[in-house]
Amino acid sequence: MSRRSAKPEVSVLRLLLLWAVMMGFLTALGFRLWNLQVAQGMEYQRRLVRQSLRSVRLPGLRGRILDRRGDALAENRPAFCVALHLEELRRTGGLSRTVDHIMDTLYRMAETMDRPLDLGPGDVRTHLGRRTPLPLVAWRDLDETAVARFMEHAHEFPGAALTVEPVRVYPQGDLACHLLGYVGRADIEQLPESDGEPERFHYYLPEVAGRSGVEKRLDGVLRANAGGKIEVQVDVAGFKFDEVSRREPGQGRDVVLSVDARIQRAAEAVLEGEKGAAVVVDPRTGDVLALASAPGFDPNDFVPSVPARLWNDLLKDERRPLYNRATAGEYAPGSTFKPVTLLAALESGAIRPDTRYSCPGHFDLGRARFRCWQHWGHGSLDAPHAIRYSCNVYMFHAALASGAEAVQEMARAVGFGRKTGIGLDFERPGLVPDNDWKRRERNDSWRDGDTCNLSIGQGALLVTPLQLAMYAAALANGGTLWQPRLVRRIERTGGAAQEIAAAPAPVGPRWAPRNIRTVREGMRDAVNAPDGSGKRAALPGVTVAAKTGTAEYGPKGAGLKMTWMIAFAPFDDPRYAVALLVEDGVSGGTTAAPRVRRLLAQVFREIEGLDGMPLPPPVEAPAALPEEEPA
Amino acid sequence: MRRRVQSWWRVWLAQDVLAILMAAGLLVTGLFFIYSASWRGEETGIVGAWFPRQIWWAGIGTAAALALTAVDYRFWIRQAWWLYLAAAALLVVVLVAGTKVYGAARWLNIFGVLVQPSEFAKLALVIVLARVLGGGAIQPRSLALIVAALVIAAVPFALIAAEPDLGTAAVLAPTVAAMLVAAGAPFRWLAALGLLGAGGIAAALSPLGRFLLDDYQRERILTFLDPSRDPLGSGWNAIQSAIAVGSGGLTGKGFLNGTQNVLGFLPRTVAPSDFIFPVIAEEKGFVGASLLLLAFAVLITCYIRTAWTAKDPAGSLLATGIAGLFFSHVFINIGMTIGLLPITGLPLPLVSSGGSFMVSTLAGFGLVQSVHVRRFRREVSNV
Repeated sequence: MSRRSAKPEVSVLRLLLLWAVMMGFLTALGFRLWNLQVAQGMEYQRRLVRQSLRSVRLPGLRGRILDRRGDALAENRPAFCVALHLEELRRTGGLSRTVDHIMDTLYRMAETMDRPLDLGPGDVRTHLGRRTPLPLVAWRDLDETAVARFMEHAHEFPGAALTVEPVRVYPQGDLACHLLGYVGRADIEQLPESDGEPERFHYYLPEVAGRSGVEKRLDGVLRANAGGKIEVQVDVAGFKFDEVSRREPGQGRDVVLSVDARIQRAAEAVLEGEKGAAVVVDPRTGDVLALASAPGFDPNDFVPSVPARLWNDLLKDERRPLYNRATAGEYAPGSTFKPVTLLAALESGAIRPDTRYSCPGHFDLGRARFRCWQHWGHGSLDAPHAIRYSCNVYMFHAALASGAEAVQEMARAVGFGRKTGIGLDFERPGLVPDNDWKRRERNDSWRDGDTCNLSIGQGALLVTPLQLAMYAAALANGGTLWQPRLVRRIERTGGAAQEIAAAPAPVGPRWAPRNIRTVREGMRDAVNAPDGSGKRAALPGVTVAAKTGTAEYGPKGAGLKMTWMIAFAPFDDPRYAVALLVEDGVSGGTTAAPRVRRLLAQVFREIEGLDGMPLPPPVEAPAALPEEEPA
Repeated sequence: MRRRVQSWWRVWLAQDVLAILMAAGLLVTGLFFIYSASWRGEETGIVGAWFPRQIWWAGIGTAAALALTAVDYRFWIRQAWWLYLAAAALLVVVLVAGTKVYGAARWLNIFGVLVQPSEFAKLALVIVLARVLGGGAIQPRSLALIVAALVIAAVPFALIAAEPDLGTAAVLAPTVAAMLVAAGAPFRWLAALGLLGAGGIAAALSPLGRFLLDDYQRERILTFLDPSRDPLGSGWNAIQSAIAVGSGGLTGKGFLNGTQNVLGFLPRTVAPSDFIFPVIAEEKGFVGASLLLLAFAVLITCYIRTAWTAKDPAGSLLATGIAGLFFSHVFINIGMTIGLLPITGLPLPLVSSGGSFMVSTLAGFGLVQSVHVRRFRREVSNV
C-alpha cells in the first residue's frame, strides 16, 4: 500500500469482510433453496396437487336386470344432454359478468333449440360456487329435433357441448314393478366401496342408486366397481384448466332373475283391476317365476327422480300401489291353511287318513258354536274328503286331537311366521299365534277356541302370499320347503357368471308319504271332483290340485274377505306352484280359482306349448254372491 | 499496469465486461419470466401488458446506465448535497400529493407515468454518504463518522417509512452499515448500533409496537412467523410462493409450465414483479434458481471489486453503497419468497417487472461502471 495518502483510504480487508458477509447470506439462500426444492420438493409437490387437482367420479353404466330367458326388465338408454364448459365462458370483472354471459348464452340456446330453459341465474351462480370445474348440464334428455337444432348451430355457442348420459329404463313398463323396484338419485354415502380402500372424490356426477326391490337389493352388483374417475387441474378461481387423467367408467354386472316375464305378465293380467297378489314358483327349485302385486306403478316415471305430485298421489292412493302385497302384505290364509292342520294331526298320529268325523254344520265348544261354511253340514267324512270339501268341523276335531302345538309347529315348518329370505325390502314374517304370543299380546292363555280358529286359518294367524306359494310348492313336491330363488345368475364381463344355487329353507317339514299323499289327493279332488270346492280352477289336459281360502277380516259382519287359492300343476309332476290373493273378493272358489285357472292356462299354452289348451275368458267380478261357497 | 485513456471513447474499453454480462443476463432472464408470469393473465385480461412495458423500462434504464457511465462520478459527488435535497423534497411531495396504491403513497404521477421518488432517494443517499464519509472531512474510525451517517440517512429513511414503504426503508439500513464498514467506522460502535437496531425491531413487534407499525405491517411480520395464521389472507402469498418454489424440484417444470404460475395460485398481480423469483424457481427448479443466485453473487463481487480498485475513497464508497443496496434487495426479495423473511413489497433487481426500480438499479449500475472505468490513477480523462 505504497500509495497511501493522508486522505481516508478504504481498507481492502474491510471490503473483503463485506463481500464475505454478502456471499454468506447468498449461500444461506442457496441452502434454503436446496432444502425447499430438493429435500422437501415432494412434500410441496403434494401440497400443490392437493390444492390444484380435483377428482370427479363418473357414474358407471348400471347393470341390466334380465328375466330367466334374457329379456330385459331393466336396462339403460342413452340420453342426449347439452352442457356448458364454464371455463370457456368466464368473463373478467366480477362473477356477475360471468353469470350474465352464461345466462345470455343459455337464453340464445333455448331459443335456437326451441326448448324451455329450467335454469336461472341463481342455479348458475350456485354451480359456479360449488361445482366450478364441472360442466353445467343445462338440458337433459333432449329429443332428436332439439339435438339436431343444437348440432346445426353448435358453432354459435363456444363452450357448449353435446354429452350422453345413460338413463335407466324399464322396457316392459310396469311389469314386475314391485319386484324390480326403482332407482333414485344416489347419495354420496351410498357409493359402493371399491375393493379395499373406498375412493373419495371431490365431485360426484349424478348417479342413480336402487331405491327398492331388486334394484336396491342388488345395487352393489348392478353398480359394481364401474365408476370412472377424472382428475382435473383447476386454476386459482376453481375453473377447470386441464384434464390430467381419466379412467373410463365400466359397466355394472347384469343380473338374471328366475322370473319368466311371460308368467309374470299372465299373473299381472289376472289381477287386473283388483287389489291382490300372485306368486308362481317352481316346486323343483324354489325359483320365483312370477311375483305380482296389484295395483302397480310404472318405475319409468321415477327416472331420474320422482315428480313430487306423482309421489304424493301414489302415497295417498287408498289402493296402495307402491306396496308389495306379495311379500309385505300379511293376511289370514283362511282355508288354504287346512292342509297344515291335517298334516299336523296325521303326523302326530292323532288321526289317520281314514279317520272319520261327522260334520253337522257346526261344532260346539262349551257355550261357543263354531260353524262350518256349509250350514247343513258335510255328514261323516274322512281326511281326503275334508280337504276336498274344505270342511271346518273336521279340522276342529283334528286340531283338538293333535293339540295346538302340533299345528303351530307344522305352520312354522312350512315357513310361516318367519321371512322367506327373498331379500326384498319390507318383507314381513307373518304370525303364527301360540300360547306365548297370546300371553304377551292379549294377556290371556291359549284356549281351545283359539285352536279351532287356527285350524281353519283364521284368528291371529297371518301369512304373506309368498309364504303361501313356497308352502304350496312344498305340498307339490312332497315336502321340500325351498328358499325362494329370485336371482339365478350374476353375469360378469370377461369372466364366469356367478350361478346362484337352489337352496332349501333352513327349517322344513317332514311328512310321511302316506300323509302328504292324502292331502295332495284331497287338493286334486277339490279341483277335479264335480263337487270340489276349487272346481273353477280345473283345466282340460292338465291335472291341477288346489285349495281355496276365504278369510274374513275387519269388524265382524262387515263382509270383508280375503280370497285365496293355492295350487300346483301338473299333479303328477308339479312344475308350477301358485298362491293367488284377491282382496275383498267374494270367495276363494269364485274369485281366486278362475284367476288361477286363467293364469295356469296361459302358462301351459305359452310355455309348455300345450296347443289344445283353451284360454278361459278373463274373469269378471261377479255382481253378487251366486250361491253358498266353500270358505 | 498503467494505461493511458486519451480520448473519451476509450472509457468504454475499460468497462467491467463481466458485470455487464451478468446484468444483461439477469435483465434478459427477467424479460423471459415476466412473459411467463403474465402471458396467461393477459389472455384472460386480468393484468395489463407487463412484458412490453418491461422492455421499455429496460431500454430507458440501459440508456441511464450508459449516460452515467460516461459522466464522471465525481461530478455527482460534488453535487451530492443538491441531489440529497432534491430527493428529500420529492419525498415530501410524494407524502403530500402522492398517488395511493393499496393505501401507501409511494408514487408520483408525472405525465401519466408513475415513478417512485424513493428509488431516486436511495441513490442520492448513497452518493451523499460517499461524499461525506470519503471526503476526508471526518476522522475515519471515529464515532463522528457513525453519527454523521445516521443523521444524513435518518431523513430519507423517515420519509420513506412514512409513505409507508417499510421494505425500501429496510434496505437503507444494511446499505448505510456497509458504507460505514468500508469507511472505517469502529466495529464496537457498529456492534452497538446493530444491537440497537435489533432492539428496535423487537419493540416494534411487541404490543407496544402498535405506535410504530401499522396493523398490516405487524400482521405481515406475524404472518411470516406463522403463515397458517391466515392462509387465505396475508399468509396466502407466502404459502403459495413456498409451494411454487418447493414444487419446482431439482430441474423445474419447464418454461411457461409452472403450475402455480399458470393456474394463478401465485397471484397474477404480483408474480411478474415481487414474486418473479418463485416463477423462475418453479419453472427452472433448483438448478435454474441457484444459477440465478450465482449471477447475482458474481455481479455483487464485481461491484466490490470496483470498490477495491476505485481511484478514490468516494468512488470506493459509492460502489460499496450500491453493492449494499443491490445485495439487500436480492436477499430480502428472495428471502421473502422462500420463507426466510416476512413478505415486503420489494422487487428483485434487474429481474422483476417495475419501472422506477429498473431505472434506479441500472442507474446504480452506471454509477459503479463510472467508478470502474476511471479506476486508473491520473490517466482518466476528464469528461
